[in-house]
Amino acid sequence: MKISPVFIGAGLLLALCGCARAATPQATDRAALATKSSIIFSGTVSQLAATSFADVPKSAQTIVVTVDSIAKKPAAVSLKKGDNVTVEVKDASAFQEGTHATFYTDGWIFGSGIAVKELGHEVGAAGVETAPAAPVEMKARGQDQTDQELLDRMKASDFVVVGRVTDVHKWNAPKPKSGAPSRVTEHDPDWHEAVVEVQSVLKGGKVKGNKVIVRFPNRNDVAWVSSPKFAKNERGIFCLNRDQSTGVPSTKVGGQQVNVYTCLGHGDALPISDEARVRALLKNQ
Amino acid sequence: MKAGASSPLRFLASGGLALFLLAIPTLLAATAGFLARAQSPPPPSIKVVNLIPASLSGETNQDSEPFLAIQNQNAQVMVASAFTPNPFSMTGNAPVYVSQDGGKSWVLNAITPVQRMTCDMTHAMATGENHPRGDLHAGTLACASGITLDESESNDVSLSTTMNVQSTRGNVDQPFVRALGVASGDRIYVGVNDFNQASGRTATIDVSVDGGATYKSIPIETRKTAGQDGPSVRPAVANDGTVYAAFFGWRKFDGKTATSDIVVVRDDAAATGTNPFQVLKDPSDKQPGRIVVKGVSIPWSNAPAMGQERIGSTLSIAVDPNHSGTVYVSWADKGSKGDIYTLHMRSSTDRGVTWSKADLPGTTIHNATNVALAVANNGVVGFLYQQLSSGRWVTHLVQSHDGFMTARDFVLSTAPANQPVEQFLPYLGDYDYLLSVGSEFRGVFCANNTPDVSNFPQGVTYQRAADFNAKTLNDGSGNLVPISIDPFYFSVPVIP
Repeated sequence: MKISPVFIGAGLLLALCGCARAATPQATDRAALATKSSIIFSGTVSQLAATSFADVPKSAQTIVVTVDSIAKKPAAVSLKKGDNVTVEVKDASAFQEGTHATFYTDGWIFGSGIAVKELGHEVGAAGVETAPAAPVEMKARGQDQTDQELLDRMKASDFVVVGRVTDVHKWNAPKPKSGAPSRVTEHDPDWHEAVVEVQSVLKGGKVKGNKVIVRFPNRNDVAWVSSPKFAKNERGIFCLNRDQSTGVPSTKVGGQQVNVYTCLGHGDALPISDEARVRALLKNQ
Repeated sequence: MKAGASSPLRFLASGGLALFLLAIPTLLAATAGFLARAQSPPPPSIKVVNLIPASLSGETNQDSEPFLAIQNQNAQVMVASAFTPNPFSMTGNAPVYVSQDGGKSWVLNAITPVQRMTCDMTHAMATGENHPRGDLHAGTLACASGITLDESESNDVSLSTTMNVQSTRGNVDQPFVRALGVASGDRIYVGVNDFNQASGRTATIDVSVDGGATYKSIPIETRKTAGQDGPSVRPAVANDGTVYAAFFGWRKFDGKTATSDIVVVRDDAAATGTNPFQVLKDPSDKQPGRIVVKGVSIPWSNAPAMGQERIGSTLSIAVDPNHSGTVYVSWADKGSKGDIYTLHMRSSTDRGVTWSKADLPGTTIHNATNVALAVANNGVVGFLYQQLSSGRWVTHLVQSHDGFMTARDFVLSTAPANQPVEQFLPYLGDYDYLLSVGSEFRGVFCANNTPDVSNFPQGVTYQRAADFNAKTLNDGSGNLVPISIDPFYFSVPVIP
């Protein structure tokens, strides 16, 4: 995801760093829109009830906008100044040919051009004029998640912890009492267990013994390609849920039965450098 | 689209003529192939198109395991799929590629019911319900905390409406969809390896004869298994409603090798009767399911085993659409010494009752996988496969009108097998796909996307930004983009 840091500084951080209460309602709205949007750009409306390339269904709600500057977009998306973008707007009467606006959008159709759906807009170029010509690319693991997606993920987690992996070992599911054979598929997860020493709990209750067992698929199959793979001595921030995948949601550690967790989704394990971002999101949710 | 990068014509016009002339001997040699019984140059109407749209020129995903559906009544409309993630959202729908101009251009439209990216997807477009940009029937696997099969439908693939899920369940593998449109509605056949079936007889066909409104799961394995059958369960449908299915009947499995029968079942009434898929019995035990070959050894590797690809379950079956008694089946098993995976093809001309005793001439292909068969309206058989040859993945489409006594081989792609490094398995896919429509074979395969004209002997068109002179990709703004695996669509005229 490419995001203008200046834009984020002017918008997102106002909301996410505890300053939102002091911001104007417009700035707060802008930050919220920016969090939800995957593509943000400013441009000039060149056509109404039109589309910029074939294969996009034309309607009264579709307009063509010539891009002036881009504040945020996924790295894979090819979009630059001068491109024509089809925007499916919420209220076409708000636009005329020549209208200049900032568009907060989500992707829709990708072909010879780009079509997006409006989440919101601001007439004028507020918030984008300060964007640099070349947005900064953010490559760190998990940072291709939008803040909203990360926040949603953390809300759905039983625990969000900062920790260090002290051990990794293979875990074999016990044979079912029914005698049913284990299944052979290309999507076999090859379950492993990681022992995570918890250094702080960002969400959730106290962790007994400051250790959690995390099961993860070690298989490099497409089904599990987005699931974090744990390595000994790795430090990170982990979004954990009770194990609902293996059918064996607890295990014995030191003679005591303890719950087992999983960490399966893309971005469920974040680099330790994301700690400030995670804390800010949790604080301001 | 970059000048000099978007098509062979542009390549020639942009100063690549000298390079092209130098490459001619290589191209001719590659086209000749292993069955080089016809030496004439390829017809000009062959089309190979990289599916990645220009607006996603910056993508570097491993877009492997392609599939294709054609709207037969409106063959300009097609839908392709691959392991392509939603390009703008971690939580948005997984996309499909849609063409409305016969494959010249493709757009990415996020309409599947699966979040972000499927972990298996096949689909077919039937024509029984009079939707000119539908009905797309898909079988998708969603992989989150578990694996879930959705059988879903779209009446118009040009819209952004999420496909309607008609049936869902867990604990299944590798859905493989075929469909036939009839006046009363769409008939849909989904081969699945269904671990919910009793006694480890997992080969199953999900059948809907009402456009997907209801599905019935029909087990097609009748014999004792090694706890399950192999992952691939492949249906094939003729115009008269005859439905065949092929599967690997696993009899032993030791973790590395499956001892398997190649089994074919048939139904003569579109699987609408009370005991579907039971008419074809094997003379050895009188059980439903004709054993084409008994007890072959199939290596199973869920790790890179051949050109960064895994192996273990490639299988295809095709029926002559107009003469339902003629049927072909192809699979891979353990080959001779020094060759771990060998393709075979057999045929039947009596509705699957008897089969050729040996491979059809020239169809024993060493170090090859991803077989896909189709039969054209004139009876010509198309044989698509990918072969590891001298460190390159070479994608062949072989055609024959006489049971492979003679054949013509079209090399669609030849690219280094060690680049790019695999991001996950499958590297190219556990399958590719081939269909016939009118006078064309159309299909999809995946390959290293280096924009090098010598990698595409029949020519190629890139939608994404590419520089064929420099052999590099860029993001549309001039910034270099690493090579990756992309899906490619092709159309090849059916030979007379």
